[in-house]
Amino acid sequence: MLKGAIEYAPSTFEERGAAVAFTTPLLSQTRVRRGERSKLEVLIPSLSQGMGIYVVAWKAVPDMVSMTMHDRYLHDLIVKEDACSPHEIRRATLKAARRGLAGPQAAQAARRALEEDEEQSTLTHYLLILAILKAVGLESPEMLKAGIDTDEGQRLTRQLMTRAAESLKMDATLLYSRLADIAAVTAPVGLARSPRPGRLTRGLNDLKAFRDSMTGWANDVPSDAAPVAQFCAEVAQHTIAIGDKVLGDFHRRVEAIGPLMRDWDSEIVRVRAQAGRMAWLLDGWSHITGAWEVAQAEDHHQQAATVNDLFRILPLLPRKESSRDFVEDAKQVKLAHRRSVRMLEDWRTGQMDIDAIRRIEAVKARVP
Amino acid sequence: MTGGAEKKGQVDRLPGLETRLFDIPEDKFIEVVRLLERVRDHPDVRQTFAAIRPRLVQVRPNRRPTLKRVLCMPFEDVLESFSGVDVPLGRIERRVIDPVWKLVTECGDTALIDQLDRQVQETAPGNLNALRNIGRRLWPMAAQAIRGAVEQDGARHALWRVLHGDEDLQRQVLDVAAFLEIGLTVESLKDALVPKPLPAFEDEHVGVIEQAVQAVARQSTGLVYYLLLVAASRMANPADLLTVLNDLDFGKARCEQPVIFAQLSGLVVTNLEERSARLDGNGYSAGPGVAAAAIAPEEAIAIAERLVASVNTTSAVMDFLAEPVYRERLEAVKTAVRTMVTGTVLDTASGGILTAVAAPAGNGRPAAVDEDAQAAAEDHARALRRCEGLADALGLHEPLKTAMTSMEKGLMARAHALLAQYPKAAGDPDDAETAEINLFYALRLLELVAGPAKADQLRTAIMAATGEFAEE
Repeated sequence: MLKGAIEYAPSTFEERGAAVAFTTPLLSQTRVRRGERSKLEVLIPSLSQGMGIYVVAWKAVPDMVSMTMHDRYLHDLIVKEDACSPHEIRRATLKAARRGLAGPQAAQAARRALEEDEEQSTLTHYLLILAILKAVGLESPEMLKAGIDTDEGQRLTRQLMTRAAESLKMDATLLYSRLADIAAVTAPVGLARSPRPGRLTRGLNDLKAFRDSMTGWANDVPSDAAPVAQFCAEVAQHTIAIGDKVLGDFHRRVEAIGPLMRDWDSEIVRVRAQAGRMAWLLDGWSHITGAWEVAQAEDHHQQAATVNDLFRILPLLPRKESSRDFVEDAKQVKLAHRRSVRMLEDWRTGQMDIDAIRRIEAVKARVP
Repeated sequence: MTGGAEKKGQVDRLPGLETRLFDIPEDKFIEVVRLLERVRDHPDVRQTFAAIRPRLVQVRPNRRPTLKRVLCMPFEDVLESFSGVDVPLGRIERRVIDPVWKLVTECGDTALIDQLDRQVQETAPGNLNALRNIGRRLWPMAAQAIRGAVEQDGARHALWRVLHGDEDLQRQVLDVAAFLEIGLTVESLKDALVPKPLPAFEDEHVGVIEQAVQAVARQSTGLVYYLLLVAASRMANPADLLTVLNDLDFGKARCEQPVIFAQLSGLVVTNLEERSARLDGNGYSAGPGVAAAAIAPEEAIAIAERLVASVNTTSAVMDFLAEPVYRERLEAVKTAVRTMVTGTVLDTASGGILTAVAAPAGNGRPAAVDEDAQAAAEDHARALRRCEGLADALGLHEPLKTAMTSMEKGLMARAHALLAQYPKAAGDPDDAETAEINLFYALRLLELVAGPAKADQLRTAIMAATGEFAEE
């Protein structure tokens, strides 16, 4: 059940695992991954002042930790759906929050997020149709005028897409199916010229604001937590640098919709991998940027406590993703600031800290 | 006629502005405040400032400096708050400011005042060093002017005209003079005791207070007490000062140390009594003679926690020094707090928590989800749980246990009633979803009140009824 504390130095994102937005403070942002024989397992950071990580079989978690009702539901849902990727975990998390188990505000935020996903998916689909038509020289002002959600607009679209398929020397059904595939891959990131950036692009922008705010805080606030905040900003910066590069490359490939359709087999694999990489890169950050935004209304003492809490759950880049060994650097920060970076202690008493749960739920209420 | 219409137009415009000033972004709000300050003497603008004070307190924009504001700097920490919820030790009422200003301008060095006034007008908002440099010359002169008005026969008529024989006001005016005399030391102490409120004293804070006490004692031993009032007012729990006071070296005021300690402890207790006198079973009154307004359960608990922390610290110090005289008075404070907590959190729990779980409708259709009621009920349930931390101090164990048990039973009964009705809703997807959310909200309230272990039984029953995670 419990494999004992291990040194945590993941090589890949998959090995690092996907962050789960649990509301139990001890489990908040713990990571789930596929372990031996593809069984789900969870990584719980040091239950004491130690440096290790505990690897626990996913199914055994409720027996080890007293969980909130939200987390019991989410846990069961993840088992049922065998969810493991950031996308699957996010969907499960939104579904659990929508049931009201993290409070009414989180339920409203989850409903909004799911609606936005739908809208973003429709918008991306529409923009991709326009891109294909433009690529084959079939732009139609009539279609734009009618709008894609009217009968007339849809009739015109079908007509033009059939001609586009002919032009691309492929079957119309195949064109539609590939279009659906690209839309599904692209919607979370968003297209470069989309009027509304995709969820992951917004996440990257939030991370930039977080980096700036953390750097400012580390410089302006005299606190033991200042070097910890500086480290958080550095990890964010490295993530941003990779994210900007991946995003630029992703947008270039999707923009070149003609070549993408022609060299489908190899191109879609690359595009899918880049979208997946964006999701893994930003996994776990939305809670962190949201928690820091919530902390802006609080005093410096509480902000310092938040910095230390965030340090504990910082999504450190795996070894294969960065030349810098962040895991080792984090250890040094922890050693140097042992006094301020304290580990969670409520596992000893089994008591639920309702204030800590409330703070986590407050983040959930604003960050879907 | 035209003039009248214009005047009327102005009057109409500003109240509209007041409400909008609560909604606009922070940077815009600060910009508007700056503009309004240029015409702040206009009665409508003053009224607007009074109306938007809650946001001013929250945003704390750097206000345009005025000489009157510089005058207030050494005693701003002991000024009564606008909300009246927390009363600083040795509080100075805001009504004192205008008479003090009048005395200073009438009895003080008018040439110096004019000169300093010009300097203030050229000072940028937020330039604290420049304002303190102005204060360095203003405060001693002002203190002398006030003391002169009180003590010299020739100036007494000015004092009478300004204070109308109000003795309480006169006492506070003299207190203000004392704060002004130690203005510079107070300002450097404020820099060291940050953030305000300071959650607890660290060693370096105690060291800074000791140095400041010694500096003030060299000036006049009678002024040490006022410096300590400022130190106490910067604490989250002002009574914490009592715990470190006897370890401080008062320097030249060493002989007065026991008297100052007695003065401060008496003041702490009186202050607690004053604050607790504003409590009743309904909530908290904004001031003496004002009826208590109902407050939210969580706010009531926050007030109670602060008062109990102060009472506990004070009791511990008094017990150590074997000062039984205060014991009874502190017990009375706790009784008042207990009455408020009982009235606002325990007695109202049924209406605040249980009623959020709607009873099933007769037609078998689930009641609509009311998320506002749920949010309020959750806040109430959290307040109830936070009472556990106060139960020892307030002797609330039994009533709290009764309230918790009653809530647990009530929630369980209501949840099971919903569960029994669930099959009727299960056929229609929308109804099923509504019924499930109602059940999950009831589960959440039970979790908040009784903890996850007890709530888990209900969760199992709900999952069995909905069949959501059943093995296929």
